[in-house]
Amino acid sequence: MAMHGIGKGSSAESRGLRVLIATVRVPFVDGGAEAQAAALRNALVAAGHRAEIVAIPFKWYPPQRILDHMLACRLLDLSATGDRQVDCLIALKFPAYLIPHANKVVWMLHQHRQAYDLWQHPMGDMHKHPHGAEVRDAIRRADVELLPQARHLFTDSRNVADRLQAYCGIEAAPLYHPPPDAPEFYGSAAEDFLYFPSRVNPLKRQRLAIEALGQTRTKVRIRFSGSTMEAGYYESCMTLARRNNVQHRVEWLGKTSEAAKRDAYARSLGVLFPPVDEDYGYVTLEGMLAHKPVITCADSGGPLEFVVHRKTGMICEPTPQALADAMDEVWEDRQSARQWGEAGRQRYSDLRIGWDTVLERLLA
Amino acid sequence: MKVLILTSGVPFVRGGAEILADSLQGALCAAGHEAEIVTIPFQSCPPSRIPEQMLACRLLDVTETCGIRIDRVIGLKFPAYLVRHPHKVMWLLHQHRTAYELWEHPAAGDLIHYADGRVVREAIRRVDRGLIPEAKAIYTLSRNVSQRLRRYSGIDSEPLYNPPANATLFYKGPARDYFFFPSRINPLKRQWLVIQALALCREPVQVRFAGEADNEAQQIECMKTVRELRVSDRVEWLGVVSEERKRECYANSVGVIFPPVDEDYGYVTLEAMLSSKPVITCADSGGPLEFVTDSQTGLIAEATPQSLAERMDALWADRPGAAAMGEAGRQRYQDLKISWENVVDKLLC
Repeated sequence: MAMHGIGKGSSAESRGLRVLIATVRVPFVDGGAEAQAAALRNALVAAGHRAEIVAIPFKWYPPQRILDHMLACRLLDLSATGDRQVDCLIALKFPAYLIPHANKVVWMLHQHRQAYDLWQHPMGDMHKHPHGAEVRDAIRRADVELLPQARHLFTDSRNVADRLQAYCGIEAAPLYHPPPDAPEFYGSAAEDFLYFPSRVNPLKRQRLAIEALGQTRTKVRIRFSGSTMEAGYYESCMTLARRNNVQHRVEWLGKTSEAAKRDAYARSLGVLFPPVDEDYGYVTLEGMLAHKPVITCADSGGPLEFVVHRKTGMICEPTPQALADAMDEVWEDRQSARQWGEAGRQRYSDLRIGWDTVLERLLA
Repeated sequence: MKVLILTSGVPFVRGGAEILADSLQGALCAAGHEAEIVTIPFQSCPPSRIPEQMLACRLLDVTETCGIRIDRVIGLKFPAYLVRHPHKVMWLLHQHRTAYELWEHPAAGDLIHYADGRVVREAIRRVDRGLIPEAKAIYTLSRNVSQRLRRYSGIDSEPLYNPPANATLFYKGPARDYFFFPSRINPLKRQWLVIQALALCREPVQVRFAGEADNEAQQIECMKTVRELRVSDRVEWLGVVSEERKRECYANSVGVIFPPVDEDYGYVTLEAMLSSKPVITCADSGGPLEFVTDSQTGLIAEATPQSLAERMDALWADRPGAAAMGEAGRQRYQDLKISWENVVDKLLC
């Protein structure tokens, strides 16, 4: 009788763990979180485990909806699939990290920022809602009560760990991971533009960069790429560029392919990344991988864990004038720009950011 | 349109429902829509956890994404089809079967074995009766599923057939000496029944099985039956095969055996028809009976080893008859005009 391995549970498979990655999904919106979940899954599979992503849909408005989604996550059962147990649940995002599991490891991308650092912040709006405060309190209570149930607690960055400590009094260890396709990045000769890749939205502050352009001494040019889906903001950036009469010094690539993005990094003079309190920020790391200096702001969060002022880039105050000065300096001093870019590449190597390290710690 | 496909799944398990959701997404995108699959994880054991997962689905809000309206959601599987949306259309693959027609099934029934199983069954039935009619339109995978929905939940619906994946790639080859039986190996597909029938065949019938066992116990039991009945030299287990190899196995078979218990729909029947092969199925097999006409496009047996053995012998001995029935099956498939374009039109209308 011919017999070719029918059935599951062969020995090769049983060596690895069965791991689920829990995250949330905003339908039709791709971002860094999706890429991170997919990269984690690929790393787990490459290491001989079985891994799959469970993505719970999420809608955060009106604020009461958040409570419904939190409860939904608490009600789901990921302890087993069919008759086989799930060995480990790695949870990434709120509220998916509330899903119960006996062996849960939280690797937090961020909490629900509207209930924390963006509360009463111009970028937030939960505080404007009549039930905002109740929802905020419920979110904070759930985080404080339920996050410590995880066996291990990691965050994407020092910045996220610091916020968790500041707001919830919970300790977590930062665990860095490489941007998608890290080995594919390369550097090449600098051309006459700064590159600003990010979804076009208020938290990334493309408007600040355009304001700054109006105040530069030199003819700095900026090439923007990233989804312009968020209604209103992109248009307001265009209007501002025209009003400041710098529209001919900005270029909008929109959503690009990964290859086109790497090409733009490689050919840029430097990378511009001035977000508001970014959790982590692949852009910084990608800039370093492409041998480019990174210009960021003192309130940009994550990038500050990597950028060393005047060594691997520039850190300036988040004002148009300060940003304009920093851009002018990089634009004029090509020699330093090149050196800082090389130093950034070296720093990336020194940090030993890799999936091997990530898996070792998550599954320890 | 922005369309979400709502389904439930067991992580790590990929079967017909997952393939169908992928195909539907592909068809929607091909028609110029934006479509995404939302898969809610579902664990049916222990039953006491089922109502909580039903509630979880009711709590999710997929009416908008980032301020942009989601125009349509298509509900496929329990409990994901319970998600609320003002423009929901059901394309029901099946209800939670062990709360309905499989409640008492000796091998498949699970709820029945739990102290709270009956309570959970009633909760599922009540929710289906009350909430399935929220949808703007109710389609099902097959007439069989529609009939069950009518019988158990008193809800009318319309069957909406879909083609198997890569339908255009199936082809007919010369018949070699074997019947083909592709399916996951489990009690509902009844590979056991075929093995028992094989022991009763007078002709030197050979059966080639393809597919993976749901679990190790079923695999072991299956092999044991083969040894006990001394038919080891008459069966071949291919395990998981590539799509290409599967099509080749269809193309070169004498015919296809597909005797499941009350199958919802069953791509196997359609794939056999696309390969111009007759299908042997059983009177209680459900879905296949919507396509197989006895003695015209295949043979319908009683679900007993003896009856099945007789049909297998008959087809094995009459190759010209088998070929003619295969051709008739191919013709019937064409006449049915099953297409994704039609599915998309109906679901979005």
